[in-house]
Amino acid sequence: MGEQIAFGVLAAGALACGVLVVTLSNAFRATVALIGTLLSVAGIFLLLSAPFVAFVQVIVYAGAIVTLFLFVLAYLGPRAMLPEDRLARFQVFGWIVVLVLLWQGIVVVLSTQLPGVRSEPKPVGDIGSPQAIGDSFLRDHLLPFEATSLVLLVAAVGAVLLAKRAVLRERGR
Amino acid sequence: MSGVPLSGYLGVSGALFLLGLYGVITRRNPLLLLLAVELLLNGANVALVGFSRYWNNTDGQIFALVVMVVAAAEVVIGLGLVVAVFRQRMNLDVDELSTLKG
Repeated sequence: MGEQIAFGVLAAGALACGVLVVTLSNAFRATVALIGTLLSVAGIFLLLSAPFVAFVQVIVYAGAIVTLFLFVLAYLGPRAMLPEDRLARFQVFGWIVVLVLLWQGIVVVLSTQLPGVRSEPKPVGDIGSPQAIGDSFLRDHLLPFEATSLVLLVAAVGAVLLAKRAVLRERGR
Repeated sequence: MSGVPLSGYLGVSGALFLLGLYGVITRRNPLLLLLAVELLLNGANVALVGFSRYWNNTDGQIFALVVMVVAAAEVVIGLGLVVAVFRQRMNLDVDELSTLKG
């Protein structure tokens, strides 16, 4: 019963904040609404006995990524001309895509035979602790782990290059 | 019925994904577009961790962590592009950034 209540609250929070993220026209407010979604999703991860992923979600998403968004918003400031959303026919197109995919998802979830989709959750062993994650990364998924570090390095170098070129252009003028 | 079946988590995951998709289609401001992409990635993560829990397997959480790393890299590059475009053109509209269009 407790799990159902917690799940209901967290799911409602995540979806309500998600609606705000895609509807608010003020970029600052939309970013703050995203924090609500990210923290609710972290709570859902805790319910799914994945505490390590939940903490990484809070630190990396709600901490680093949202802070980066807020820094860029503060840097651009009100001088940034923020264009209005595409509405009219784009909105109709968006609704069509969303409704078709929603129908498809409902059909798939109702008809799937995958184990566990409609059954009660069974008790699980230690799948979410830092130890289990580290074991899995270093034993079974070593290549993705190393590839991840390469991705981060390339992203960091790319960000520095982008910023440097922009600064050089600005000085050259 | 004391627990939540996996279909509940899949529902949340799908709803977050659809919200993000709607945002990606309708937004024109690249900053808000990146926020909607975060919603998409979070929806996928909920499904991955949900399957990991219900199949008693750590692999889904590994996928979710890799997705988070990719999301962080994507945000860094995306925001770097936004700042670079803003410094050169002072106009943030993804419909006008069509110079690279084939």
